[in-house]
Amino acid sequence: MTATSSRPSADDPRITLDQELGIFEPVPPYPPRTEREAEFYTLGDGQMFINMGPQHPSTHGVLRLVLKLEGEQVVDLDPVVGYLHRGVEKLCENADYHHTISQVDPLEYISALFNEWAPVMAYEKLLDVEVPRRAEYIRVLSAELNRIASHALFMGWMALDLGGLTPILWSFIERDEIVEMLGALTGQRMLFNYFRIGGVNGDLNHDFMSRLGDWMTRATDQIEANLTLLNTNEIFVRRMRGLGTIDGQTALQMCWTGPNLRATGLPFDIRRAHPFSVYQELDFDIPTRIEGDCLARYLLRLDEIKQSLRIIDQCLHRMPDGPIMAKLPRLIRPRPGRAYAAVESPRGQYAAYAISDGTDQPFRLRIHDPSFIHLQSVGQLVQGQLIADTMAVMASLDPVMGGVDK
Amino acid sequence: MALDREAQGLGTGPADATQMPADQPSNRPSILVTHESSDVAEPIVVPNTLWTSTDPMAYGGGRPTDITHLREFEVAGGGQRDDARWTGPLELIPTKADYVLDLIRANSLWPLLSGLACCAIEMMSAATSKNDMDRWGMFPFRASPRQADVLIVAGTLTTKMAAPLLRLWEQMPEPKWCVAMGDCTTSGGRYKRSYSTVEGIDRIMPVDVYVPGCPPRPEGLIYGMMKLQQLIKDRRGHWNERAVGPTVPEGV
Repeated sequence: MTATSSRPSADDPRITLDQELGIFEPVPPYPPRTEREAEFYTLGDGQMFINMGPQHPSTHGVLRLVLKLEGEQVVDLDPVVGYLHRGVEKLCENADYHHTISQVDPLEYISALFNEWAPVMAYEKLLDVEVPRRAEYIRVLSAELNRIASHALFMGWMALDLGGLTPILWSFIERDEIVEMLGALTGQRMLFNYFRIGGVNGDLNHDFMSRLGDWMTRATDQIEANLTLLNTNEIFVRRMRGLGTIDGQTALQMCWTGPNLRATGLPFDIRRAHPFSVYQELDFDIPTRIEGDCLARYLLRLDEIKQSLRIIDQCLHRMPDGPIMAKLPRLIRPRPGRAYAAVESPRGQYAAYAISDGTDQPFRLRIHDPSFIHLQSVGQLVQGQLIADTMAVMASLDPVMGGVDK
Repeated sequence: MALDREAQGLGTGPADATQMPADQPSNRPSILVTHESSDVAEPIVVPNTLWTSTDPMAYGGGRPTDITHLREFEVAGGGQRDDARWTGPLELIPTKADYVLDLIRANSLWPLLSGLACCAIEMMSAATSKNDMDRWGMFPFRASPRQADVLIVAGTLTTKMAAPLLRLWEQMPEPKWCVAMGDCTTSGGRYKRSYSTVEGIDRIMPVDVYVPGCPPRPEGLIYGMMKLQQLIKDRRGHWNERAVGPTVPEGV
């Protein structure tokens, strides 16, 4: 350990420099390994490759898109992922059940509460423990707040990727208010580490409730004001309409979930289709749109914000009294078995599959992430479009690289 | 003495060791604080033992400079390098021009928009409405490294991303500074034990300011950038000696 601490980068055997491998060339330095690679990396007449990323201001993280261009039209596209692979699943195998909650937090870092929710639900199934109702309501309340923050950020990024700077300044006002109040509840602004196996970490406090009540009185007006920035903008609407269109059947075949699927007209929502937590008791709609283009995906998320506000309102009115944690021993050793739990994250079906071997550490924790699923369809969606529309389509799918690469 | 220097806006001088943690065993304060005004004939050289550029000719090839006159400089081919340094007399007499120019540099930091992971969101939050970094002259996030002079490394650095990030750093023109934002970039943080992450970006590039936190609050980043401004002012006229280097103590 002493020898490696002051070692410069060029000696680190894990880091390959570009001079050695030419890794910044769009074409990989090795011969094609699959038919798809052989087909993609063969240039036709008048075609060229261009790299987009990994450092690109609007790839929502570190992603490299190899574009095959004919003039300015995208013929094909190859996403190269793995620039943010942090080995979370492997780390979870070496941490005990409580510690895995903090390890999975930064996966989809914009909606961290959902990242915790799925593994925690899987562990609760493994342990066969019942969560107190107050804890479930607090979970729904905080998670829906997190969904609004995520969708607000989406609105800003959508415009930023198209070259508009103003909406992100507006959407970050919403986002900052929400994360500040969640920070008052959980103690952290982004990676909350709030859900526990069998409940939540802390009860609702005065700071959180006063901030929430203050925000709820003007939330609808603020969000309506934000909507006028883009929804009435003719340039934005005409650019987004009909771009990246996909029909419901294809989307299902590509395993799409979440708002992206609902924008094609299929009202599939895990909160309604496979109800978890207390969503069965709450009254909310599943907004859908039939167009399946970028504009529909954008507008659908705005509709979801309004439904989330409804859910928060009901949670506050129905919040039961009682404990916030189930009675569990400190050291958890579930019986050997498997458990699967899925939640409806702002991007779609976020699921965890936990295998227990009877020790205090999970034998395996598999995370199913919706961003990765949606990202594999980008090539289909942008075929034949202009190169500038690639980022618009990417942004409308709202992938987060932390979840894609894990 | 110290008060006088502060009153003139010259920094607090050698007594100011705030830029380095005091608990580091190899804390060599003389590296980080302001030097006395140097004689051109005897340039101040601080050996950089930890970090090397991938370009062997950059930063004088790591050798201490022994050039004292413009003629020698031209003969040595110093102006031929492509690391965006000034050439000509300004290379030889940096103290006079940089003394003024560093004030300007400190007050118009142009960070590179290079978010890697979670911390990038807080970096954007620091730049937008509520915490407006623009108030201290740190706003214009540039998408191109050619136009930026501060690299805010925000987020976990993986081994696959290390070479692209190093390339971004090499592409930025001098003078340039690096801010390590978040625990992952300072030490590896919660992913220190992972097989695919770089345990602190000071393994691969020099770091001027570390901002701890997972992720730091936007106010934390702004405080770090203000520290960077103070550091630039304190080192006025000496940026091209690259006196910073990683401040990782040996033997850790």
